[in-house]
Amino acid sequence: MKTVFEKPEPVPNKNSMEQEKLVVQHKSDNSVQAFNREKLGKYGILIAFVMLCIVLSVITPNFLTLTNISVIVKQVSINALLAFGVTFVIITGGIDLSLGSIVAVTGVVAASFAHPDTYPLLVPLAIGLLVGIAFGAFNGFIVTKAKVPSFIVTLGTMTIGRGLALILSKGRPVSNLSDSFNFIGGGSIAGIPLPIILLGVVFIICLLLLKKTTIGRYIYAIGGNEQAAKASGIDVNNIKLFVYTLSGALAALAGIVLASRITTGQPNIGAGFELTAIAAAVIGGTSTSGGVGSITGTLLGALLIGVISNSLDLLNVSSYYQQVIMGAIIIVAVSIDTISRKKGD
Amino acid sequence: MFSFRILYDTFNNQDLLFSMPTKTNFIKSIHLLATLLVLAILPTSCDSSGSGGQAGDENKIVVGATMLSMQNEFVVNVHDEMEKKAEELGVELIVNDAQRSALKQVEQVESFIAQKVDVIVLNPCEVEASSPAVQKALAANIPIVNVNSATSTTPTAFVGSDDTEAGRMAMRFIAEKLGGKGNVIMIHGYMGQAAQIQREKGAKEVLKEYPGLKLIAEQTGEWDRAKSMSLMENWIQSHGKGINAVFAHNDEMGMGALKALEDAGLKNKVIVVSIDAIADALQAVKSGRLDATVFQNAHQQGATAIETAVKIVKKEPYEKQVLIPFELVTKQNVAQYIK
Repeated sequence: MKTVFEKPEPVPNKNSMEQEKLVVQHKSDNSVQAFNREKLGKYGILIAFVMLCIVLSVITPNFLTLTNISVIVKQVSINALLAFGVTFVIITGGIDLSLGSIVAVTGVVAASFAHPDTYPLLVPLAIGLLVGIAFGAFNGFIVTKAKVPSFIVTLGTMTIGRGLALILSKGRPVSNLSDSFNFIGGGSIAGIPLPIILLGVVFIICLLLLKKTTIGRYIYAIGGNEQAAKASGIDVNNIKLFVYTLSGALAALAGIVLASRITTGQPNIGAGFELTAIAAAVIGGTSTSGGVGSITGTLLGALLIGVISNSLDLLNVSSYYQQVIMGAIIIVAVSIDTISRKKGD
Repeated sequence: MFSFRILYDTFNNQDLLFSMPTKTNFIKSIHLLATLLVLAILPTSCDSSGSGGQAGDENKIVVGATMLSMQNEFVVNVHDEMEKKAEELGVELIVNDAQRSALKQVEQVESFIAQKVDVIVLNPCEVEASSPAVQKALAANIPIVNVNSATSTTPTAFVGSDDTEAGRMAMRFIAEKLGGKGNVIMIHGYMGQAAQIQREKGAKEVLKEYPGLKLIAEQTGEWDRAKSMSLMENWIQSHGKGINAVFAHNDEMGMGALKALEDAGLKNKVIVVSIDAIADALQAVKSGRLDATVFQNAHQQGATAIETAVKIVKKEPYEKQVLIPFELVTKQNVAQYIK
């Protein structure tokens, strides 16, 4: 389907406007209101994030320093990579629970090929990414061809991935990795840690993909109304296959960065990562019923989680309280978001 | 249990699903088929990694073992040694993985009782929650040997190490290195597990002896290298050069903290000590990166557990409690631990 619209306006969320317009044609919604809702929702999370940062920089010593900000972004990078991938999936109306296991299995596989003086750096990277892509494509294939709900498929691959990670590593961490491999997660270029650079690059690619391309428009359309998208000639299956594969590839990237950062491939790492990634997407305004969400929002969501956990550590808050506080903040952030959306109605 | 529950729910309550396919009979039957398939596969794949119960030789002694978690390197090491010993002594060993669930562990012991194994080896998940497993085995007149950690109910025999001693050993090393004065950080294991409680207890006993040592921060790293690394990065921001030593409850976390300190260029000013002597940590001690680790003898624990179990079945004399000592590993003696 081709959406024709007037000149792109200089607004932060042009594409979701396009998407809303797509939906408009089928649902005869009011596009202006829908857009306001989206905008307010997005600013809701931004306001929450800025307010939190102001409060934290007052009560937490050493919070607002350049090195600490770099530490936070570095720590956030892995969750953000996963969250970008799952944002695409959630916008199409699906879910991906296999992320944490893909992180473990790609970390183990990449590490197995990254011992010093064995293969050039490209080999562990390529094989690691391929494993993630294979997992993602498998998820997408079953979801589209067998029509099994993504919740079930990725629950299955979550278990398969964990099992494979343990089988391949024989239950033990894969260590003794080459310096060049360890540079990916631990090194820096011009003083900027490599994971941060990587995060920036992936962020821009994902942002452009979702906002500027036809594929991005189709992704929103499928999540907004799958039947209508299909009726208007969008190849729903192929787009979905692409989205799950992308999610798998980004999880593989996260797995490689993580293995490199901790200089081992850990078969038991990543349990629960998918939930933190989904939390980041949801805090960032992605709707679990599909059709709504943005990469910028997800990045803000991931940063919000990272900032909270960093400052609670700086304040030496006991881990018992940390969990309660983290849960409460997730609920508050999403509530602010939802309320500001309602006001837009 | 978890996956069964979800399958059941999704099958019965289609609202739970994120996207529902067209509900034709054909697809429904595929669903049913898939569910049945999974149900058929699950019990076999979860429950027994060992083979066929009491099949085979009638006179062969059968040992049923349930391990805390086969995702934990130390437990895997204990398990490998148990298998070696079992083969050497010509007994059949059935191994179940409790996957950190005390409930699963109790169920596994129940099934061992039903299979009428000769003796059970229990590597407890938890002090209290795994105790019913011991009670049930004793009530069924099947001897049970605890390996590595304790339960509140006393088993027939215990083979393991005293974790408080490991905590004392690590903290005493720090105290001596710092001359009894300085700021210390402690990274805990999973809160509430026997090893975490006892390692903390031992370390804090030593801290009391040295009033010059100050514990400036403590937090759980959940036995996890990545978590501990993030924790340490954050502490470096808040305490910076004020940190003199780090005690991590296991090597994985010690290695994580070490990496964070190295990245911040602080390692030469901070002493890092952890426990377990895993391969990675031994290499780090050898190259002078990690200051010390404490060796917990997985091999001896695994082998002695099987030996004791077999002795009990054969009605030979055995020791009710075998405590295998911890050993401090530093650069001086690390060579003898590296294989």
